[in-house]
Amino acid sequence: MRYLKLPHEKIREFLLELKRYGTLIAPVSISEKAFDFKEVDVVDTIRFDYNRTVLPPRKYFFPPNETLFKFDKKDCRLIDAYEDPGTFVIFGMHPCDIIGLRLLDSRFIDDQPDTYYKRRREKGIIIGIDCLPDEYCFCNIRDADFADRGFDLFLHELDEGYLIRVGSVMGHKIVDACDHLFEAIKAEDISVMTRKEREKQAMFQHNENWDNLRYLLELQDSHPLWKRESEKCISCGNCTLTCPTCRCYDVQDIPELDGNGGKRVRFWDSCQYREHGLVAGGHNFRETKLDRFKNRYQCKNAYCETMTISYCVGCGRCTQFCPTGINYRKNLMEIRGDE
Amino acid sequence: MIQSRNIYDTHVCRVLRVYPLTDTEKLFLFRFEDPSIGMNWRFRPGTFVELSQPGVGEVPISICSSSMRIGFFELCIRNAGRVTQRIHALKPGDTVGIRGPYGNGFPMEKFEGRDLLLVAAGLGMAPLRSVFLYALDNRWQFGNITIINAAKTGAELLFMHELDAMRDIAEAENITILQTTTRDERWGGLKGRAATHLDKVNVDSNNTAVALCGPPHMYKSMFEELMRRGFDPRRIFVTVERRMKCGVGKCGHCNIGTAANWMYVCKDGPVFDYYDMISTPGLI
Repeated sequence: MRYLKLPHEKIREFLLELKRYGTLIAPVSISEKAFDFKEVDVVDTIRFDYNRTVLPPRKYFFPPNETLFKFDKKDCRLIDAYEDPGTFVIFGMHPCDIIGLRLLDSRFIDDQPDTYYKRRREKGIIIGIDCLPDEYCFCNIRDADFADRGFDLFLHELDEGYLIRVGSVMGHKIVDACDHLFEAIKAEDISVMTRKEREKQAMFQHNENWDNLRYLLELQDSHPLWKRESEKCISCGNCTLTCPTCRCYDVQDIPELDGNGGKRVRFWDSCQYREHGLVAGGHNFRETKLDRFKNRYQCKNAYCETMTISYCVGCGRCTQFCPTGINYRKNLMEIRGDE
Repeated sequence: MIQSRNIYDTHVCRVLRVYPLTDTEKLFLFRFEDPSIGMNWRFRPGTFVELSQPGVGEVPISICSSSMRIGFFELCIRNAGRVTQRIHALKPGDTVGIRGPYGNGFPMEKFEGRDLLLVAAGLGMAPLRSVFLYALDNRWQFGNITIINAAKTGAELLFMHELDAMRDIAEAENITILQTTTRDERWGGLKGRAATHLDKVNVDSNNTAVALCGPPHMYKSMFEELMRRGFDPRRIFVTVERRMKCGVGKCGHCNIGTAANWMYVCKDGPVFDYYDMISTPGLI
């Protein structure tokens, strides 16, 4: 891998350089405590110190709603309505979100690639940045605290600048085009990074191996936790909306008022909604809130064969943004018998 | 840049024939409008298509014709929801959109050289008709065949007349056709659930592939009865129904299983073997 150093005083120039490649998207503050990825006009508004964004970056590849096709009802033909977003740069993705996106790739870009996701994915340049865990984070347990790949460039904070890992051909191209901003890595930088990595690891509250969790989840199907916790749930779907790997969608045809044409639209769905398992004729495969509550825990902890980790990256969003205070990680620990 | 085909795009198909089967089910014969697609489109028995009516939506429907007939296919459609209600109003000459086929289908190559036992209840006859007609079209690859078709009443027995009209050929070809109803006082034929008629089959339990399709409550009793009669669980296959919006393992609605074994019915199924059925929570 190629490593470079970006001194603190060159960061602003580097961000402006990134804007040349396309729309710059980065974490910004949206309220006193919350952050979100937004299109950035003024690079000074970018928050390098954000903990987590409300919505994960998947919205740029798999938008909350998108028109798949337009149609003219006369002949049943569908016209691809993909809207090219143009090249965009997402600056500041944390390792859990980069890995979350790779987990999405494993489902969306398989032997039958999702045409829309794939086209958007090819338009996105990803610049990762390292972070420190807060009380919600357990990405270390999920093997999602360090990104091996899935980025073009990745920034690790040093005492006086950033150590940059170059992760793709596009990454090489970007740094080559502004090579005057960078310095060579010195032995001192490596020891700073090594120290910071150790400090980061020490900040995690828990550090166990959870490989057996998926089997315990299956075996503990009648654990009293399920009833107790699902009764708190108000089926709002916040946990799935904010999850970096949730990908359920529904599709609806919206006819135009003249009745001749219309569009086929897909939008985010949630397994926490009652209609999720409902089939024509009225049968519901996940009839109760308890069924739906369990479903999410099973799905998130399932094993992704491509990535060899679970679909949960331990970002902490579903717990932080749950309006009724359901603590997902604590619940999993209870299933594991930790508490 | 060369872009491969949009996986959600549909092929235009024309309705050639609409045949009422029961009060709620109709059989539709379709042909591809584009001959180059029609001639190259293949499917396995037990797979399904997403049938689209732009402006109303898409529904997953099992293919119920023989996969040996090229360029044409049949769908047996129950008038059960918004989209199927619209489909039921279609007439010959009207068009629909089709994408697929999706799903794994029945492993017909594993069935070769064996007797076949097909057990359908209610709408379950639709996918099994595809298996049955395929077996008839490749008759020399299979041993004896029994098909059991069950419904509540005679009026609800899908393809009752078609199966009835096959009685002569069935006798000549070592095929046993059993049609049974569970709640029909006036039905003159066999009565009782499918599982109660396993004493009338012409297949050898030591060398038989079994295909089942029906409502979830049918499986437990069928499994018990099949085991009791010595059928090999490795050769028992079931096809199941779920809400399958995308057909390609992405939209998430048809998920089943647990964290230890997470599956999508549309992609990992809809055909599952006996061991999947008994070890996957949520599948039965």
